[in-house]
Amino acid sequence: MFGEQQRFVLLLIAPAALLLLLFQVVPIVIGANASFRDWALYNPKKTWIGFDHYVAVISDPAFLYVVLPNTFLFMVLSVAGALVAGLALALLLNRPFRGQKLVQTILLVPLMVAPVVAAIMIRWIFNDQFGIVNVVLEAIGLEGQPWLVQRWSAFGIILLTDIWLWTPWFTLLLLAGLQSLPKEPFEAAAIDGTTTWRVFRFLTLPMLRPVIVVCVVIRAIDAFRTFDIVWTLTGGGPGRSTELFSLYAYVLAFLNLDLGRGSAAAIVGGLIILVLGVVMYRLVDRIAKA
Amino acid sequence: MPMVTHPEFLPDLPNWSRKTFFALALAAICFAFAFPVLWLILTSLRPESGVYYVHRGTEFTLGNFKEVLGQERIIEAFINSAVISTLATVFSLLVTVSSGYMLSRFTGPATRMWFGTIYIFRCVPYISWVLPLYFVVQAWGIYDTYVGLLLPHIAVHICFFSWLMKGFFDGIDPSMEYAAMIDGCSRWGAFIRVAIPSALPAISALAVLCWLFTWNEFLFALILTGNRVPVITVVMAQFVTEMGLHWNLMAATAVMALLPAFLIALFGQKYVIRGLRI
Repeated sequence: MFGEQQRFVLLLIAPAALLLLLFQVVPIVIGANASFRDWALYNPKKTWIGFDHYVAVISDPAFLYVVLPNTFLFMVLSVAGALVAGLALALLLNRPFRGQKLVQTILLVPLMVAPVVAAIMIRWIFNDQFGIVNVVLEAIGLEGQPWLVQRWSAFGIILLTDIWLWTPWFTLLLLAGLQSLPKEPFEAAAIDGTTTWRVFRFLTLPMLRPVIVVCVVIRAIDAFRTFDIVWTLTGGGPGRSTELFSLYAYVLAFLNLDLGRGSAAAIVGGLIILVLGVVMYRLVDRIAKA
Repeated sequence: MPMVTHPEFLPDLPNWSRKTFFALALAAICFAFAFPVLWLILTSLRPESGVYYVHRGTEFTLGNFKEVLGQERIIEAFINSAVISTLATVFSLLVTVSSGYMLSRFTGPATRMWFGTIYIFRCVPYISWVLPLYFVVQAWGIYDTYVGLLLPHIAVHICFFSWLMKGFFDGIDPSMEYAAMIDGCSRWGAFIRVAIPSALPAISALAVLCWLFTWNEFLFALILTGNRVPVITVVMAQFVTEMGLHWNLMAATAVMALLPAFLIALFGQKYVIRGLRI
């Protein structure tokens, strides 16, 4: 039925496709099915209710005016922050200096810690009574802050934690990119006495662009669905003011035990990021070809 | 050949002050990056009574480590995590190297469809499949077993790693494989004996990252395991949630969990940087 080449191609992807089917497609179909039903615990019949859950999610003011803006703000700031920090550190590590190896290892520390442990630790560091941050602030005569129970300071800490966690990832990929750039243009620039800034602006940045764009797309998709650090740091609080979209779906499904509406929320978020992802991917393609 | 001089920053300052400034800035950055972990290590060395005032007091003890190492459940969790991380790495790579190779070397409707599938599932939020995944794993009777945790861990890496592997293979000239095939090598032979060896730097980079991701993963472990297969991240989190607030014990376990990750990152970073050229 298939030619020799087709058989080879299919065999190459068969194990991956099978695993994907069993452990992603099947659960997602179950979730999608639940999103059209009244799947609450007290309703054993799981009545079909059509798009009611979707309507409820899209018309929920908390979702529209808190969760979505939070998620987008978080995504943009987290990706931008980690990109800038990662690029700066990659440029730094790309030049030889004494102790370069040691600095490089230290900068990779966030990659080694389990995010959940890092988040627990950072919650502890910013604890309003015992946290070291407030102790230091009070020691130099400033007032300690209840960091994690004020909306914007809590949001800022979540953001900083995320940037801290993901900067090494950008650093690694960008450093790998920097090291594979051709040497000649830089030598030519050095002979012409070009300033550092102009070398960066007109040589390094354009040549790194494909790597940067891929990093940004991958990271943006991940940032949109961030869950564990927010859950550990604030649980979405104070109130629901730092809730991101993954948390919103989790709370509906696990705490309110309404699997139907939780699934509907997750699917709405999935569709948003999918559209965003396709747009970004088109952009990558165009930039990579340019 | 002209020397490439590294363009200096702040060129107006004298050399020594620029050097000092550079060193100080570096030290500050390193401190900021390492601080949460330094704090963790410090906490792990304080006795139970000292954890609320980690910065004060002078008693230090290795008692936390001794207590933690005395608990069978924690030893078990370490072994489980190590086994699962290693197996997940091996199988993830087996599966994704071949799928990335396919994406890179062939064109046509099958490739476009597979790439589209990978892209779409890469975007699906964890939340929307982790909960139903629990039902699936229950239904197949693999809840709270090695297999039940291992297979989803392999599945979760498929999309991302296939995508990265495609990029790596794109960067490798396929003419060697054609030459091997003209000389009588089968397609499999060309893939296994020619393409894979030339992609080894990239594969080892992914191996390091995959091991670290799995070792540190929390959400799957939390939802898909119970008492029979304790995993290190879940056990650590339980110290400060379900079993009261044992900051010192949590910290001691976390420091030990950091060690293998640290060693892997220490010796693996060379390969990661050499391999991750997308």
